[in-house]
Amino acid sequence: MITVKDLHKSFGSNEVLKGINAEIKEKEVVCVIGPSGSGKSTFLRCLNLLEEVTSGEVIIQGDNLTDPKININDVRSRVGMVFQHFNLFPHKTVLDNITIGPIKVKKMKKAEAEKVARPLLEKVGLSDKSDAYPESLSGGQKQRVAIARSLAMEPSIMLFDEPTSALDPELVGDVLAVMKDLAEEGMTMVVVTHEMGFAREVGDRVLFMDEGIIMEEDVPDNLFGNPQNPRTQEFLSKVL
Amino acid sequence: MEFITESHYYRVMPFLLEGLVWTLLITFVGLIIGFVLGAVFGFARLSKNKIIYGIATVYVEAVRGTPILAQILFIYFGLSDLTGINIDKITASIIAIAINAGAYIAEIVRGAVYSIDKGQEEAGRSIGLTRNQTMRYIIWPQAFRRMIPPLGNQFVISLKDTSLFSVIAVGELLYMGQQYYGMTFQAFQALTMVCVMYLIITVPTAVYLRRVERRLDV
Ligand SMILES: Nc1ncnc2c1ncn2[C@@H]1O[C@H](COP(=O)(O)OP(=O)(O)OP(=O)(O)O)[C@@H](O)[C@H]1O
Ligand SMILES: [Mg+2]
Repeated sequence: MITVKDLHKSFGSNEVLKGINAEIKEKEVVCVIGPSGSGKSTFLRCLNLLEEVTSGEVIIQGDNLTDPKININDVRSRVGMVFQHFNLFPHKTVLDNITIGPIKVKKMKKAEAEKVARPLLEKVGLSDKSDAYPESLSGGQKQRVAIARSLAMEPSIMLFDEPTSALDPELVGDVLAVMKDLAEEGMTMVVVTHEMGFAREVGDRVLFMDEGIIMEEDVPDNLFGNPQNPRTQEFLSKVL
Repeated sequence: MEFITESHYYRVMPFLLEGLVWTLLITFVGLIIGFVLGAVFGFARLSKNKIIYGIATVYVEAVRGTPILAQILFIYFGLSDLTGINIDKITASIIAIAINAGAYIAEIVRGAVYSIDKGQEEAGRSIGLTRNQTMRYIIWPQAFRRMIPPLGNQFVISLKDTSLFSVIAVGELLYMGQQYYGMTFQAFQALTMVCVMYLIITVPTAVYLRRVERRLDV
């Protein structure tokens, strides 16, 4: 579903991704872990071209994103993204945050888009908040709205960049529960996370990134239980 | 010296009200055009295209680096000297306000758009909105709210700037006041009334803006 071939990304002279190869299958949940600055976010952002790729290929459902003729808006509407800081639209209500994608991109009627949005709000447990503005929500509620906003586009892949890192500890659980539900429904997910418990429980595979490359990848039990690479061992000894 | 008596008041008011109407007309029409210029050049100043950015920067700096008095004289006398076409005083005044305020508004627009968190654009793009849609539905509405206080401020500045157009004998408020005391020699009374009329517009605007600002703060 996603194929990444020898992906390089530089910011000026700073090479952040130094040749990433990865293959992510349909319905797979891949968690990406690694130290700060190792390029996890950059890697994720290359998967929907929020960052321009320096060289290499990213192929999503057969579309090569590095092909200059690709319709990137179309690809992005099939790849949802959830950000660490939610990035909800503060001037729009919760419901409008969710419906704007279907209305403007899929050209749905407002009523039609709301029919898509309401079950999603229900799913993330926020039916009663549809008319609220983002500023009145807690961090955990904001992030669940952000997830619903992405899901409204009916993406086939969801990318999460540290979705719980900005949350108070007691709010993390609700967000992870929503993500777990999604995983169980068969959503293809790439999740950059510091939540090792989540990676272990929900992830099908874990990638350990360091210094711009994937140092090690394995099923969670092996990667956490019996890491081979000394860098992985060192990292895990610090975070576990 | 007598202060403003009632009969006096009735004699001076028609003059000043006529002046005020022209002052407001020049300010409003000038600022509407100035806002369009400001939006266009403000976005140009955000452009990655060096030529577009360069043109906009020259405009903004040229206007901000010269006095508005020189600008009005340039538009009224300078341009007709060059082209041989005479424009009327009111049109020249409106053009001067538009061009002058346009440069300042360009900076207001640029600053407001730039101040919106980068994550907003990324969130818009990541649900599949195009660049233009993201600007129109996500960035611009938020930026516009932030522009209201500085735009109101610009309104007050431009309103006061119109008084400079008395040099080309535009019948705006200050000029009409001058006309009046030219005939009656009652400069103190006339100028007091002129200033009160400016304040009647500017003070409520300032109060309103402070309220808006406070609301935007929270
Ligand atoms: N827009 C940018 N311009 C310049 N450098 C950047 C940019 N974005 C990221 N970098 C650099 O790329 C490197 C990798 O950043 P990235 O955000 O991908 O790391 P990360 O693994 O996600 O770290 P964290 O766990 O702190 O989020 C860092 O050194 C960062 O400074
Ligand atoms: Mg990151």
